Amino acid sequence: MKKENKLKLILKAIFTDMFIWVYISGSVSFLINHWFEVTIPGLHIVIYGSVVGVILMICGISVGRKMFLSTKRINKKWYKTFWGWSVVLILFITFIVGWILVEVNPYKFFTKFTNTSGIMSGIFNPNLDILIVSLTALAETIYLALLATIFAIPFAFILSFFAARNLMPKTLIGNLVYIIIRTFATVFRSIEAIVWAIIFSVWVGIGPFAGMLALMIHSIAALTKLYSEQIENIDYGPVEAIKATGANTLQIWVFGVIPQIISPFLAFTIYRWDINVRMATIVGFVGGGGIGLLLLQQQQLLRWHNVGMIIWLIAVVVWIMDMVSAKVREKLRGM
Amino acid sequence: MKNIIEIKNLHKVYTGGTQALKGINLNVKEGEFCILLGLSGSGKTTFLRCLNRLIEPTSGEIIIDGENVIAAKGQKLRLIRRKIGMIFQQFNLIKNLSSLTNVLTGKLGYSSLLHSVVFSKNEKDVRIAMENLNRVSLKDLAENKIKNLSGGQQQRVAIARALMQNPKVILADEPVASLDPATADSVMKYLGDLNKKDKITIICSLHFLSLARKYGTRVVALKDGEIVFDGTPKEIDKKRFKEIYGEDAEEVEIR
Ligand SMILES: Nc1ncnc2c1ncn2[C@@H]1O[C@H](COP(=O)(O)OP(=O)(O)O)[C@@H](O)[C@H]1O
Ligand SMILES: [Mg+2]
Repeated sequence: MKKENKLKLILKAIFTDMFIWVYISGSVSFLINHWFEVTIPGLHIVIYGSVVGVILMICGISVGRKMFLSTKRINKKWYKTFWGWSVVLILFITFIVGWILVEVNPYKFFTKFTNTSGIMSGIFNPNLDILIVSLTALAETIYLALLATIFAIPFAFILSFFAARNLMPKTLIGNLVYIIIRTFATVFRSIEAIVWAIIFSVWVGIGPFAGMLALMIHSIAALTKLYSEQIENIDYGPVEAIKATGANTLQIWVFGVIPQIISPFLAFTIYRWDINVRMATIVGFVGGGGIGLLLLQQQQLLRWHNVGMIIWLIAVVVWIMDMVSAKVREKLRGM
Repeated sequence: MKNIIEIKNLHKVYTGGTQALKGINLNVKEGEFCILLGLSGSGKTTFLRCLNRLIEPTSGEIIIDGENVIAAKGQKLRLIRRKIGMIFQQFNLIKNLSSLTNVLTGKLGYSSLLHSVVFSKNEKDVRIAMENLNRVSLKDLAENKIKNLSGGQQQRVAIARALMQNPKVILADEPVASLDPATADSVMKYLGDLNKKDKITIICSLHFLSLARKYGTRVVALKDGEIVFDGTPKEIDKKRFKEIYGEDAEEVEIR
């Protein structure tokens, strides 16, 4: 083994052990604080944890050493080793801390069902009087999802070609463009549509337009990624064959690349619309308009029979969208 | 007969340092059916792809039909490529399109920039495409999608596509290597036909000596990027065979 490699592995092992034991001492401190109301300063937690981690690593019985430095295959049963018990300790503590943080309370779950009588009776007795109002709001939601998808298509389509590794030239600029677009797509996608909705409801005011913009941004990012991955997976053979006939670059793209990607693109896009209809409901809650907004208002007014009506409508639409989109995608796969 | 292909001192070094071609000198006469033999890795694919610049040669000179291939750029290079049909081992057709549409792509080098954005199926092109499909006995399958065709049928569509270019030369890189022996022979028949009737010059790499003997008018063998044999198919006896394929090789007879 090379020297620098060995050093790297040792550092990795030490950091792993320090991390593990800082985590354990942090969790223990949390539990002490929770049960005995004794506060342990953060600096102490870090120092104790690190010291324990490093010592165990040096003693050669730690998890880090097992992960990165154990070369011999010793067939010792895990429960006869120290690292094995360390892992058990980590899992056990994580479970206890989780239980407390999430405020798990089985007692409430089994005894307070009657609290739901309002909403339950609402669901089983939906108020048909608000059918028209709800349908209007629902149309708003479906259309905003549709427009968000449609507006996202041209952006994602063009961006995806520049975000496909196999089409971008292997030059500095080519790589830069690829990396920038991919990074933006990843970042924008990891910001939930609900966050975009909050931003846009401030920007253009509460309503379906804000919701549409939120879903559009999210869809552009998501579709760019899906489209470009599809382009990266194309069969390069026909592209080369068309190049060999004397076709120019534009022709190569139009006749060699696009026919291969068009039906998966359509499938992704319809799937996206399906997702957008669901998201549009949620986005409505934070100022994106549509059925989500109506649901929020009725829930806050405790009008459970209206809430029941809305819930039924959402369920039916999501169910239909799901079925239709699955059918269409099934058809596209055969093309 | 004049030389339609003249290659002088052709070298190809891949990034990473592999010397795939080490100074190839070769003249091919108009109307020859030149078979390229050689073990895997001997440089056959590299050689054929250098001829239409799907791969950039490192150095050397290539003249095809009087045009300097190496110096050509942009539009000029595309006009040269137009004269050179190419057939691939994996057929390289667009699988979810029809045979006819695939054949039509062979005409792209002739169409204007405007035609390149919309797939205008111009009547004259369609007629020629149908003739070419007929040439390879596939007229009835014109509207069928490629993915529903057999390997042999796909390779014939690829031949029809190459014919759309009105090529002077056809380069075929192991065109029958993924076909069964009987189908392989029938596909080679079509290439032989083009060579005899249309006087298209063909360079075709093969693995089977029997096919080389049957269709080739000339055999060139590569070994480690160099020409180790150049002669007629008849001249390849046991001794020559071992020179090309190594001491341990035995000829397997494929009909
Ligand atoms: N894209 C490539 N990059 C690097 N080396 C390659 C590449 N393609 C082929 N080679 C190498 O060049 C040599 C010739 O390969 P190739 O032309 O494919 O031979 P053949 O077609 O006769 O099997 C081989 O050693 C192969 O490994
Ligand atoms: Mg090859």
